[in-house]
Amino acid sequence: MGITEYCFLLSYLTSFILELLRIVRPARWERYGSIAFAIAGLLAHSIFLAYDPPSPSSPYGSLLLLAWVFGVFYLYGILHRDPYPWAVFVLPLVLALVGLSFVFTRTTHDGSWFTGERFWGMVHGILLLLASVGITVGFLASIMYLVQAGRLRRKLNPIGGMRLLSLERLERMNRRAVNIAFPLLTVGLLLGLMRMGQSPHDGGWTALKITTTVGLWLVGLLLMFLRYGAHLSGRRLAQFTLLAFVIMLVALLASHPFAPGDVR
Amino acid sequence: MNLVTIGCSFRDAPIELRERVAFSDSATEKALRELAARYGCEVVIISTCNRVELYLAKPDGERPPDKELIAEFLAAFHQLPSATVQPHLYELADAEAVRHLFRVTASLDSLIVGEGQIAGQVRKSFEASRQFGTTGPMLNALFPHAVRAAKRARTETGISTGHVSVSSVAVDYVRQVFDRFDDKTILVIGAGKMGQLTLKHLRELQPRQILVTNRSPEKAIPVAQGCGGQAVPWEHLDDALVQADIVLSTTGAPEPIVTRRRFDALSAKRGRKPVVILDIAVPRDFDPRIHDGETAFVFNIDDLKRIREQTIHQRQKHIAPAEAIVEHERKKFVEDWTRRRNGPIIARLTQDCDAKRKAVLDQLLGKLNGKLTDAERAYVEGAFRLFQNQLLHGPIDALREASKEGSSATMIDAVRKLFRLE
Repeated sequence: MGITEYCFLLSYLTSFILELLRIVRPARWERYGSIAFAIAGLLAHSIFLAYDPPSPSSPYGSLLLLAWVFGVFYLYGILHRDPYPWAVFVLPLVLALVGLSFVFTRTTHDGSWFTGERFWGMVHGILLLLASVGITVGFLASIMYLVQAGRLRRKLNPIGGMRLLSLERLERMNRRAVNIAFPLLTVGLLLGLMRMGQSPHDGGWTALKITTTVGLWLVGLLLMFLRYGAHLSGRRLAQFTLLAFVIMLVALLASHPFAPGDVR
Repeated sequence: MNLVTIGCSFRDAPIELRERVAFSDSATEKALRELAARYGCEVVIISTCNRVELYLAKPDGERPPDKELIAEFLAAFHQLPSATVQPHLYELADAEAVRHLFRVTASLDSLIVGEGQIAGQVRKSFEASRQFGTTGPMLNALFPHAVRAAKRARTETGISTGHVSVSSVAVDYVRQVFDRFDDKTILVIGAGKMGQLTLKHLRELQPRQILVTNRSPEKAIPVAQGCGGQAVPWEHLDDALVQADIVLSTTGAPEPIVTRRRFDALSAKRGRKPVVILDIAVPRDFDPRIHDGETAFVFNIDDLKRIREQTIHQRQKHIAPAEAIVEHERKKFVEDWTRRRNGPIIARLTQDCDAKRKAVLDQLLGKLNGKLTDAERAYVEGAFRLFQNQLLHGPIDALREASKEGSSATMIDAVRKLFRLE
């Protein structure tokens, strides 16, 4: 297969540049070009993942899978909600996730994810990946919320430069994302811990992956409490969601105690 | 192209004249029918508060009525002395008239550049004329193209970004904070005229309820009735403030009616529910320190005016790209139109030359009968065809060039005479 990570990285990058140009000086060809490159990037990304699926338990695989999900998210955004500058917020994230994956090598896997003995391991991995998607959506909503709140605090032109979603909408987006992510994270983490209990490895309980995932769960719990118990302001909640995302990223980048290390 | 635009606008004509020569819907119908009958031309009338313009087109070879005739028509129609109308009229012909319509529709010739109403008004004027049967091939092609060009200018540049009325800017701010309004309460404090205009825009958001309060209940009741709201006694202002998500304040009070201390006392009851306060009263009704950018967003009249000025300033930057789009579309329209007109003359010229070539060739080949091989015969036929093509290349090319410059009428006449195509 001739498709490499560079193919979709450069396609996304071109789409990003065209979208930035469009903000400065809107033109029809930039929009079409941006959509075309986003589709090309996503297509290459999909083929790349489908041709030889990386293990989602590895940092390399989880970063690329997460980037793919947000590639789809971005394409949906520019096709259906054009006035909003999705590229400014979503594409840097996609580029960063793909870029980070270069630090890691692909771990070889035997293609038997769904065999009986690995089934619960896979469920654990998928749940954590879905929770990561939720937290990342919350992260994006939080970034946009903080930008929008900053603009309103300074009473800037509400639709000058970039048009953003309303604070209420962004807050709802963040709330829903975290509300969905937290139960997934809880179940995924519990499954992981049960597996650890069944087949303990030396140093497994103190592995960075485990401690950061538990830390992420604690931040998730704190977020739930702050939202529903302490009724904290939207800005503070957004800041805590950013913290959750950083911890999630560390958890994704850490090697899985059951998987071989894959730092390049 | 036999097109003229004759009219007056805010640029040259005083409001006193514009309002007297303006056409109501019923007057438009009458004027359209009369113009079409009197001058046998296609006609569209655009009548807005800033301009009255007549677009008149006739088939090739016939000139549409000029400024003098239209001034007489307008004067007679509106019962004015002709001398008061004519000095304020402008007249633009052919490509210039096309450019003018495209600029008007794209809102480049508006009092506030980029305003969104004019494209709709142009479209409505055209639809009315079409309905009354006073448009024809020229205007039926011209007006839809103008609307398309305006849409391009609007969507591909920032010419119409943002709002330029204080009321609309206020609604823009509200939309930056809230997403849905069917669960929101609007509180109107005072009954000022400016407040009612803003309230009209806020009502379009379809809020759950509107509360209106005023020191004088007799003033609050009609406002509440007018907007489908509920009048609240002035003594219950604090309760209403606790309920409200959007506050529109427009009293004539000499001092702030809601101080920071008073608002802080209410905040405990409000919880962390955000509130947008549109304080368009002068002097201000709300202490500006209430604005924290988190749960309380206070925008006063100066904030709203500043945004309005910024928007107008920003739009100025997009005038040049919008003008470029309009110019591109104008050229495209003129070329398409004249190319369409050149079609028949080019076809006639080619047919005429084909017939002449064939006649000469038949005569020649008849004399050389039996002396030429098939290959030589084909060679001679080919040479004559090549000669014809080379001969016609010049005039056809000149017609195309003239199309681009918008002066193909003279060229068509010249070709007709030179090649005896009458």
